[in-house]
Amino acid sequence: MEQLKLPPIDYGALLPMLILFGAACLGVLVEVVVPRRARNAVQLSLALLSVVASLVAVVLERGTRTITIGGAVAVDGPTLFLQGSILVLGGVSLMLIGERSIERGGVFVSQAAVTAGSQKDAQQAGGQPGATEVYPLSVFALGGMLLFVAANDLLTMFVALEVFSLPLYLLCALARRRRLLSQEAALKYFLLGSYASAFFLFGVAFIYGFAGGIQLSVVHEAVANPQRSQVLLYVGLGMVAIGLLFKAALAPFHVWTPDVYQGAPTPVTAFMAACTKVAAFGALLRVLYVAFEGVRWDFQPVLGGIAVLTMFVGAVLAVTQTDLKRLLAYSSIANAGYLMVGVLALNDEGLSSTMFYLVAYGFSVLAAFAIISLVRDPDGEATHLSKWAGIGRKSPLLAGIFTFILLAFAGIPLTSGFTSKFAVFGAAVEGGQTWLVIFGVITSMLLAFPYLRVVVLMWLSEPGESTPAVSIPGFLTSAVLGLGVLVTVALGVVPAPLIDLTREAAQFVR
Amino acid sequence: MNAVSTGEQVAFWILGSLAVIGALGMVLARNAVHSALWLVVTMLNLGFFYVINSAPFLGFVQIIVYTGAIMMLFLFVLMLVGRDASDSLIETLRGQRIAAIVLGIGFAALIGTGLARALGSTFTVGLDKANANGNVEGLASLLFTKYVFAFEVTSALLITAAVGAMILAHVEKAKEDKRDQVTRMKERFRPGNYPGPKPGPGIYANTMSVAAPARLPDGNGAERSISPILPVRELSQAEAAPKGTEK
Repeated sequence: MEQLKLPPIDYGALLPMLILFGAACLGVLVEVVVPRRARNAVQLSLALLSVVASLVAVVLERGTRTITIGGAVAVDGPTLFLQGSILVLGGVSLMLIGERSIERGGVFVSQAAVTAGSQKDAQQAGGQPGATEVYPLSVFALGGMLLFVAANDLLTMFVALEVFSLPLYLLCALARRRRLLSQEAALKYFLLGSYASAFFLFGVAFIYGFAGGIQLSVVHEAVANPQRSQVLLYVGLGMVAIGLLFKAALAPFHVWTPDVYQGAPTPVTAFMAACTKVAAFGALLRVLYVAFEGVRWDFQPVLGGIAVLTMFVGAVLAVTQTDLKRLLAYSSIANAGYLMVGVLALNDEGLSSTMFYLVAYGFSVLAAFAIISLVRDPDGEATHLSKWAGIGRKSPLLAGIFTFILLAFAGIPLTSGFTSKFAVFGAAVEGGQTWLVIFGVITSMLLAFPYLRVVVLMWLSEPGESTPAVSIPGFLTSAVLGLGVLVTVALGVVPAPLIDLTREAAQFVR
Repeated sequence: MNAVSTGEQVAFWILGSLAVIGALGMVLARNAVHSALWLVVTMLNLGFFYVINSAPFLGFVQIIVYTGAIMMLFLFVLMLVGRDASDSLIETLRGQRIAAIVLGIGFAALIGTGLARALGSTFTVGLDKANANGNVEGLASLLFTKYVFAFEVTSALLITAAVGAMILAHVEKAKEDKRDQVTRMKERFRPGNYPGPKPGPGIYANTMSVAAPARLPDGNGAERSISPILPVRELSQAEAAPKGTEK
């Protein structure tokens, strides 16, 4: 038998992921070695440092266009851009996760194994420091996301999917307040997520049967020149798509989103809304553009229908929500629909505008959830809409920022929301998908209604007895808020540099 | 290119039926332990399938790891949790069960007919080539060359799983909770502490609520009789009213 030889490995190209995985393992060791008092500071700096180091590695590799380690990882323009945006958004989310000054001990529970509602739980809710395992878990999730957008074969993509999902399931269960809701959210996310993963894996098996391989380039060739029945291809593509659409929260695979967004601790919700979305759409783009481009005429109408359904479900149900976190969850579903419009343009313009949208939306949504974490009453965050009535009179600055973010979501000009929507709709028209754009514009107008309702509620009602106090943000949350607003303005006023960057990056290697 | 032999066909129909019966039994069994045992049947049959399909290593891994180790863990957990715990059969969404059954059968039929149409005339390809150097060696060369990164990254998954299990299941005992019997006894009889058991709440004695305190001889409520984790709330008229003892 011949000697096994490792395939050539471009360690430089893999460095961003290797740094994160290494740092996460180190973080697990820190849990053991470092005394409890110093743990939070050490873990937070380690996590942020690793993200920065990883980002530097991505920037250094910006010229790389290669497929490495036996064809498992493709490092090209979209990969590097998406990895960079995941890292930037992830770093900002880590700051939210690391915030410990708004509530004593932070938003995470100290010991998740203590029965919710017991006497011991009441004690630990009072101010015991939150679990620090959240940092290594978040870094593991980030590492998985980097691999997810870079995976060049479906098996690696599946492993990456699991690597970033599992920490997210865990993080969802670790809220300090309303623990039963948080645990329920985690369980729902876990069960539905594993179901979607099973679909993905089953689909991969079908694709393997069709193409005789699972590398995206092999699938591409087989699609162009089919050797076996195309039924295998369509069933496989459908099931792989279900797995990816679930993570991206498109209707009808969106049902987990409101419950999970509401139950999870707010920083984790922000992390999911910003980073998971980038990762899921990154993988979806790669699969559709690289592997299945040959059957675009077959999947375009189906996925287009899904995009329209998603936009309508998100926009219509957002109108009926009374909880702010749920409202933002439905808004994120609708935004997934707009992103899908960009994806379905299936040209370079569509690729670059989708990537632009992901970054712009990520920053706005991080700022939005940062504000939600600040408005609190004695029971924790006051997310019910009625509690927000008249908050503009009590703290105009915060209400002003939130109004600005909501207007950005609604797509008012001079905000990033406008430029990004304009970009994806323009790309879709160019790609011959005008019908999607029509539905997109209609739902955008529908979706403006719930946002404006919140704005009116904040400014035009009288503050009542139960209007909650607004906590003074700590340094980390202030930084997140500042960054979010700054980027939302900047991408609305001078979007050109980022658009140029996405255009330069918009070329997959096969 | 090789057709399916008669022996393989016979084995398929027997083992396949058993596997499906096992899967159905797992879903339909009321008792969790029976469910787990039905699952063992399915997994054993899958193991045999792998062996028949020239993947002996996978077959043995299936039997040793899944059927052996993981299912025994399942049973262990079931025994720890208590095997009497059974599912509630009340539907929270009306018509959900019927819809689930219809959709499930429909999906299975769709996949089944799709596969039958697609693969009805396909023969096995490349099996001999894959097993040319031996089954285990072939698998190893794939794992350590083409899929080496996926293989390595799986370790991240395992670490996450271990950390997650610790977070969700392990309660750290604080130092002050670890007290020996002498200290506890001294604490119990220290002046100011009532050494006897706490009185039960007033439920059954005079009202219908566990949140109602027991009455002291002077007619006041005994605060110690209510559990401190009960949320404090105003009792309604009916709850607070003394219970009539005579018909």
